[in-house]
Amino acid sequence: MSNQRQASSASQVPHLSPAELSYLYTSLSLPKNPIRPDGRSPTQFRPLSAETTILPGTNGSARIGFADGTQAIVGVKAEVEKTVLAADTLDSRSLAQHGDALNREGEEGSAAVSGQGEWVQMSIEIPGYRDDDALPIFLGEMMRESLVGSVEHKDEMAGGLKARLVINKRWHWRLYIDVSLFLPLDLPVSATDIMQVLLLSQPLSYPLPLLSLTTHLALLSTKLPKLKSTGEEDPFFDDDWAAAEYLYPRSKPSSGAFHPVRPPVTLLVVSVGENVIFDPNREEISVADAVLAISITRSHDSEALKLLSIRSIDPPSRLTQPGIPNSENASMLGAAPTENPSQEEVTGVWRPRRGGIKRSVVARMIKTVLGKGGVGEEVLEGLEGVEVQ
Amino acid sequence: MKSLRRDLSANPQAANVTSKVFVRSTKSGKVQKIVRELYLREDIPCSSKLCSQCPSIAPADANGNIAPFVLSERPAGTTAFPGGHYLVPDTNALLNGMDLFEHTGAFYDVIVLQTVLEELRNRSLPLYNRLLALIKSDEKRFYLFFNEFRRETHVRRGPEETINDRNDRAVRLVASWYGSHLQQSAKKSKKEKSIPAIVVLTDDKENLRKAKAEDIHALSLSDYVSGLEGSEMLLDMISDSKDARDAKEAARGDLFYPEYFSMSKLTTGLRAGTLHQGVFNVSPYNYLEGSVKTSAFDKPLLILGRDNSNRAIAGDSVVVEILPQDQWKTPSTKIVDEEAVTRNDNPDSEETEAVVTDRERKALQEEVKKAHGKHSEGKPQPTAKVVGVIKRSWRQYVGHVDSSSAGSQSSGRRQQNVFLLPMDKRIPKIRVRTRQASDLLGQRILVTIDAWDRDSRYPTGHFIRSLGELETKGAETEALLLEYDVQYKPFPKSVLDCLPAEGHDWKVPVSKEDKGWNGRRDLRDLLICSIDPPGCQDIDDALHARRLPNGNFEVGVHIADVSHFVKPNNPMDTEASVRGTTVYLVDKRIDMLPHLLGTDLCSLKPYVERYAFSVLWEMTPEAEIVSSDFTKSVIRSREAFSYEQAQLRIDDKSAQDELTDSMRNLLKFSKVLRQKRMDAGALNLASPEVRIETGDDEGGDPLTDVKTKAMLDTNSLVEEFMLLANITVGTKIFESFSQTALLRRHATPPPQNFEDLTNQLSKKRNMELDVSSSRALADSLDRCVDPKNPFFNTLVRILATRCMTSAEYFCAGAFAESEFRHYGLASPIYTHFTSPIRRYADLMVHRQLASAIGYEGEDGHAVIEGVCTRNKLEDICRNINVRHRNAQFAGRASIEYYVGQALKARGEKMAANGVDAGIEEEGYVMRVFENGVVIFVPRFGIEGVVRLEDFVLPGESGARSVAERRELVAHRTTEFDSEEYTLRVEEKGSSDKTRGVDVELFQRVRVNVSSVKEEGRGAGKRRVRILIIEA
Repeated sequence: MSNQRQASSASQVPHLSPAELSYLYTSLSLPKNPIRPDGRSPTQFRPLSAETTILPGTNGSARIGFADGTQAIVGVKAEVEKTVLAADTLDSRSLAQHGDALNREGEEGSAAVSGQGEWVQMSIEIPGYRDDDALPIFLGEMMRESLVGSVEHKDEMAGGLKARLVINKRWHWRLYIDVSLFLPLDLPVSATDIMQVLLLSQPLSYPLPLLSLTTHLALLSTKLPKLKSTGEEDPFFDDDWAAAEYLYPRSKPSSGAFHPVRPPVTLLVVSVGENVIFDPNREEISVADAVLAISITRSHDSEALKLLSIRSIDPPSRLTQPGIPNSENASMLGAAPTENPSQEEVTGVWRPRRGGIKRSVVARMIKTVLGKGGVGEEVLEGLEGVEVQ
Repeated sequence: MKSLRRDLSANPQAANVTSKVFVRSTKSGKVQKIVRELYLREDIPCSSKLCSQCPSIAPADANGNIAPFVLSERPAGTTAFPGGHYLVPDTNALLNGMDLFEHTGAFYDVIVLQTVLEELRNRSLPLYNRLLALIKSDEKRFYLFFNEFRRETHVRRGPEETINDRNDRAVRLVASWYGSHLQQSAKKSKKEKSIPAIVVLTDDKENLRKAKAEDIHALSLSDYVSGLEGSEMLLDMISDSKDARDAKEAARGDLFYPEYFSMSKLTTGLRAGTLHQGVFNVSPYNYLEGSVKTSAFDKPLLILGRDNSNRAIAGDSVVVEILPQDQWKTPSTKIVDEEAVTRNDNPDSEETEAVVTDRERKALQEEVKKAHGKHSEGKPQPTAKVVGVIKRSWRQYVGHVDSSSAGSQSSGRRQQNVFLLPMDKRIPKIRVRTRQASDLLGQRILVTIDAWDRDSRYPTGHFIRSLGELETKGAETEALLLEYDVQYKPFPKSVLDCLPAEGHDWKVPVSKEDKGWNGRRDLRDLLICSIDPPGCQDIDDALHARRLPNGNFEVGVHIADVSHFVKPNNPMDTEASVRGTTVYLVDKRIDMLPHLLGTDLCSLKPYVERYAFSVLWEMTPEAEIVSSDFTKSVIRSREAFSYEQAQLRIDDKSAQDELTDSMRNLLKFSKVLRQKRMDAGALNLASPEVRIETGDDEGGDPLTDVKTKAMLDTNSLVEEFMLLANITVGTKIFESFSQTALLRRHATPPPQNFEDLTNQLSKKRNMELDVSSSRALADSLDRCVDPKNPFFNTLVRILATRCMTSAEYFCAGAFAESEFRHYGLASPIYTHFTSPIRRYADLMVHRQLASAIGYEGEDGHAVIEGVCTRNKLEDICRNINVRHRNAQFAGRASIEYYVGQALKARGEKMAANGVDAGIEEEGYVMRVFENGVVIFVPRFGIEGVVRLEDFVLPGESGARSVAERRELVAHRTTEFDSEEYTLRVEEKGSSDKTRGVDVELFQRVRVNVSSVKEEGRGAGKRRVRILIIEA
């Protein structure tokens, strides 16, 4: 069971005392003007450096690094695979009723055009975790889900990513997205106690946004060899890599938007009190009332952003140890500890957050992300700034 | 959100590393992105002898030597570049003008770029190999410059730049780099003289333009050649360039042939089994009928007409699609000769061109009619059409210019199109553009096919060189050798260097202490003799037999020990493995090994000691083998007999010496062995062979030299022991090398191969051919006797032989042991061991046997080297199989040519006396067509087509000229019965039943054989004409 515990989001809890937690919470929940430990504004991201096409052997790749040394590298590999539809059809025919079989056939016909979600595979490697631990799998699934379910664009990419992977009725591409997270082992301070902390510690922040942004860039730089065969022939490709085509089609830079369609990004948003805070670091998450992973993409019809999914994440603050008010602390000459600690808030005393998220908070979060000139746009613009070559 | 991009430009090492990225599709269907890193260097020399810098930087080998510099100090100049020049051709220049680059008159000092070489390999493998050969040979001074690896000349592909543009840029960059490099580094003394110009040869207009802008000398191939001496001939050697063809295509939209399927469509179809792959073959009797043998069907698929054969040329590996059943047809029963049908085509006027001319269409129509016949044999067979070509097997073709196509306006030096009629009838005529049409008339010329586009009825090609006048001995012999791809050039020096230094004075060492005696048994005391055809110089084998004290006999076969002289993997060995076999023409022998070895040092000449490889058996007097033994030995042959001499000696009752006795014993054993073999089901096959014995009396009738092969007992004596030796050795090497033994097999022919012959025999002669096993076949062949017609049996055997597959060399690992069988010899295992002087396979087997018996060679090193890698052996097998077949064809063609010449000489002599009546002979009908028959004339070993006009009807004079006879065709009518294989030729409209000739299959007829010159349009060509004078 300890394994499970470790893998849950609770493991993100930093070793902060109740008093520190309380202090942090109070500064972050200051109305309108939260004070973040690193002095950022609520919507400000940590500075990062990004580059694409860093792994020559892959179809597409990207790296994003934070100033603290945490970095993610994503490589995308594509493989041609035979679509096993015929066997399915046979099976279902033999099993299903006659009329049913006809129906199914219709369905499968469309499936062949629209592609299948499992053609995209994602694996995430985080130091200290096994690849079958819950965290990497959960993270991978969360990003894959928005990827395959994402964008529909009438002209450029009808049917979204899934359809883009279809070569013809019998063949398709399979996409392997491999994400590696690297922790800063080359910190300038090399005191042994820090090492101790590092070895024990989990990723310095909840890694989702980092992974998502990197994956986004990697997919934008992904190219598939140019198909030379036509129709239902066995696929046959141009051997010139320069002729390969982008997975996410691009228009000429002159004609407005460079990328008519972009993969989605997933942002991590927390709420502390009435405040909404973006790109939280680990300490900030540990005191958050609510943690949401919001996947957005640019919807092309309206130039506006589109919400793809929201997932709430079990806030780690739930599992922290509560502080004890002076009134109840025997050593402070307070009343003897009662059986049931009082339920009221005492200013300056940390209490684990319990209960759900308020509707209004969720609404505000979404508005901040999607709104005109909001955080979502800022992020996407920032990513576009990374020249994808 | 801010983002930064890491900047690598500051890294000084970055410029030296670059990468090459491409997509690789594997056979299993995987598609991979491949990235190769490229490390650029600065020590790749320019290889010009003018350069003073490069010798110091060029990388040295382990001994500290640098590769000798190639490019001359004083390259040849032209009018445009009087100070000399180096050539830098681009890929297209090589593709279009490889023949020019091989020409010895020009094109020296050529810098071949790595970029160009690689591109060439992707475009054309044969041309790539030819270029490699040029680079390897010293005389033409071709230097392969690894421009992609040299930092200054490496070109990075720009964004949006096509590969072509990039490669063109690389060529230009090299040219400019060479220019400045030589300017800087040329030796001071030479500096006053001009530095050679670097001339880029390219046919790409854009490239020419850019080169001009960058101040680089660049010329198109034809412009460059125009400035050379003898430019007219050289210009003809340029291929019809792609650009020119494209322009033509754009100009005229008509396309005569359907487009080929795309590669991916072909592979999809092949995998799905809807398309089939095979080698395209053309019927020798009907150029419009082809067939493709595919693995999916037992019988070949028919391909009828030009539309369906869709630009495939005999030998190409093609993909076919089966036509719907209503288009299935019977194979044609008509002789259709391209020359005759398309006689009036004009090579220049393409407007009137249609793929299928009316006449061709008519010829096909008649076949369709036949298809509706009711006979079982006449039932329609599946037909197919060619939808793609996997691999062209175009080679150089020998032929002559169709004089009618040369046109009348041959006066000026204008370029014109002419048709070339290839010697090989299965190859369509080739349209060749030439400026020297009038000179080429009456010459044997060599051309190559460049392309066959959809808008052209015939393939287009270009002239390579003239072999000389038609019918001159030199030209015709060379033509034969070229046509059958026989390597006839003299042995290069590197090969001759491998010969023993003593030359003809080489002798078996006297002292037994000498290392030459290591592992050799002294068999000089044995009474060994050799029996060969008269005048044989390369004596491979010798025999002996002697009685042992225990009453048994020791029989020995001694084979020339060629492997002693030809060590594995030296230049001589390589040359021999390429040649594969010695080729025997009537008056010429093209040796596999240099003369010194073949006819002297290896040859088991009488009265001298020679190294040999001996197979010794102990046999009971009943010819049961008790044991066999193999050893390297030294022998001294007592006598070299010819077959006749040996026969006479054996028959001579007075000769009672030991040697004769030994021969008599051998003969006795051979008869027993032969009987055993026959009992096992060995086939006695026949091929229509004659021998030419060139006598010295010039005045005599040359035809008397043409002799059918007489089979003496002594022939079979030698044959039996050679077979026995081969089988014994085969067993031995297979024991030792179960994977790599070089063996020979003859596959059991599939029964359907015999279908036609079985049918014909049962119909015409009521005889049955049992093909269930070789034994059954041998027996039923024995029963096919016509008491009135002694040759009939031989005829059937000849026909039966043609139904079989040919024997082939193979590597033991390539087949299951049960597949090793030699069908014709009825032996479970077989190899070739007995003729190492003239066959490379035997030489390999010698090495394997030597290693199998633990012979360690003179210096104690095993000679196993080169005998144990299966891949290499399989390559060798493939090559020698082809060479072997070609050598046979070349030999036969040579005899045919000789017979033709002999007939001609005789005809001329007779003509001097006032009569040219040809010579009367017996002939046999081998095949019956609707408009002619094929006759085999045993006396000369030739077979020929007899067309309608060549039937001499009763009451008609036989001696008429070709032109006169041709007129007759129109007046002839035929009745053809495809079920009964009969043909009746009559005068049109004649009611007189007696004025007609009936011929049927297998019939003996009187024929008149003469050599005639074609007159009128096909002028200049000579053929053997056969007239049927009496059925």
